[in-house]
Amino acid sequence: MHILEAIKLAIDSILSNKLRAFLTMLGIIIGIASVITIVSLGTGGQKAILGEFEKIGVNVFSIKTRNDVEIRDSDRLAIRDVEMIRKRLSSVKYAAPIAEKMGLAKTDKYTKRALFIATDFDYGNVSNLKVIYGRFLNEKDILIGRNVVLIDKDSAKELFGYEDCVGKTIKIGSYSSFDTAEIIGVIDSGNLKSLGGSIADQIPVIAAIPITYAQKIFPDVNISQIYVMTYDQNQLDETSSQALRLIESLHHNKDKYKTENLIRFLEEFNRILGIFTAVIGAIAGISLLVGGIGIMNIMLVSVTERTREIGIRKAIGARQRDILTQFLIEAVTISLIGGAIGIFLGYILANIVGPFIDITPVFSINTILIAFLFSTAVGIFFGIYPAQKAAKLDPIVALRYE
Amino acid sequence: MMIELNNIRKIYSLGKIQVEALKGISLKINKGEYVAIVGPSGSGKSTLMNIIGLLDKPTSGSYKLNDIEVSTLNDNQLAYLRNRQIGFVFQSFNLLSKLNALANVELPMLYAKIPSKERRQRALRALEIVGLSERIHHKPNELSGGQQQRVAIARAIVMNPSFLLADEPTGNLDTASSIEIMKIFYQLNESGTTIVMVTHEQDIANHTKRIVRLRDGNIIEDTIVPNRIIY
Repeated sequence: MHILEAIKLAIDSILSNKLRAFLTMLGIIIGIASVITIVSLGTGGQKAILGEFEKIGVNVFSIKTRNDVEIRDSDRLAIRDVEMIRKRLSSVKYAAPIAEKMGLAKTDKYTKRALFIATDFDYGNVSNLKVIYGRFLNEKDILIGRNVVLIDKDSAKELFGYEDCVGKTIKIGSYSSFDTAEIIGVIDSGNLKSLGGSIADQIPVIAAIPITYAQKIFPDVNISQIYVMTYDQNQLDETSSQALRLIESLHHNKDKYKTENLIRFLEEFNRILGIFTAVIGAIAGISLLVGGIGIMNIMLVSVTERTREIGIRKAIGARQRDILTQFLIEAVTISLIGGAIGIFLGYILANIVGPFIDITPVFSINTILIAFLFSTAVGIFFGIYPAQKAAKLDPIVALRYE
Repeated sequence: MMIELNNIRKIYSLGKIQVEALKGISLKINKGEYVAIVGPSGSGKSTLMNIIGLLDKPTSGSYKLNDIEVSTLNDNQLAYLRNRQIGFVFQSFNLLSKLNALANVELPMLYAKIPSKERRQRALRALEIVGLSERIHHKPNELSGGQQQRVAIARAIVMNPSFLLADEPTGNLDTASSIEIMKIFYQLNESGTTIVMVTHEQDIANHTKRIVRLRDGNIIEDTIVPNRIIY
């Protein structure tokens, strides 16, 4: 008998007992649906987090002063440190100082709180900052400590009524003194302010200014960290320790600084992900096992019920293999239909649950293929015994069966 | 010689007790014959029929079907021969209840891997021969007993087997239906089909040309029917 005939036979047989077939499939449906839901949400979450890492760059590390030791003024990171890192370390592609300072930004109409990020021209390269209008800081801005500023686009809209405010001036400073700076660029503010409502009002103006300008208008500004990007991810560890030693020698001190990079976080993240995957695998395995036992059970019932049919088929020329194929295909068809329903259900479920936990589910062809493969495997594994039982029936005994 | 049995013995072991169902049967049946195997229950006629029908193997002895020794073949080879050489007609019809008449008749051709178009043509032709062209889409439970048996006969002849093997074919039928079936058998035999029929009814046996009588596992009589019933 051809496979197609056997499949048609299996579908006829399933259709003639719809409720029973559905109940049999339920185990597989629930198993596959939960796996698809969890895996697609997990993959979606992983993709989002990895995407964030990618944006910042995995070959970036930062140098900070340690907060568990006493720091004197001479220990503080300086612009000179950044220059020396650039000059002395050949594996360094970019390096940028970062100093953060809260202050105010004023136009004729509005006064808003502002977070000043004082840095230099390399900052754009080591961070995921995007300039949408105008330009970023350049070497000359740093060299002369020019009074220029970049603000985020949402603040630009709030302060000026439109995003492209390049060329306008703005007053920046702390509570007592202000300086007038020219806006040279507008940066993307990400989706922070799209949240809207009262939260949006809490978010300050994000303003990038030259580190050298910051030192003029904020006397107490300190470089909190230096971002360093290497040419290659492999150079990360070696370059970090070289940079540490370099800065220590520049400041004539020891053990005052530390370096951090994202690789460690990435490794930790992958480790947690591995545990997560193993747990899901175990749950999937158990539910598929239960589903498979259900299939085996119903197939055994089916073989008994259809003993006479098997006898007739054998009498008129069905070989053992034909009977085996017929019942095996029936078992596989049940589990495959269950798998397909499970995949569909999982897809819907993931799309319902996703928005609540702020994850866009990702459905990969691989996941779906593996789900189908597993359904087939369950069908074969749990179908083979009943099918063999059917195939080995003695036709005389089977024909006598009432 | 189409069917040639030589000293066929069949012994069943029921625990410690051994029952000898056939005690050395020798029987020859030629092409075109119409033979009734009769005998009381327990005479061994069912066992003999199972052996002739290749559903069971003899304990000893030789069975040649179309001059080929078949008593030593394996299950697959026997299935192949049952499919091509033997057309079964059972007392309880043994149709598949979920399939309609046409699909039931097509079934043996499915296992012979005959293409679907040819299957359909041949099944329709077989149903025409048994006079059931009108009811090909009916399921067995929508047909009368006589009609079901005619579907079963169509199924038995559709592979053009060497012989029909009928086991009490009228056992579940009323007189009128029995006569219908006997008419069909008569016509099939007249057109050259060999028929071997197991029955315990003398008047049904009287439709055949030759009666082989069994008792206690032995052939006690093998005679030509003098005044057979013909149509």
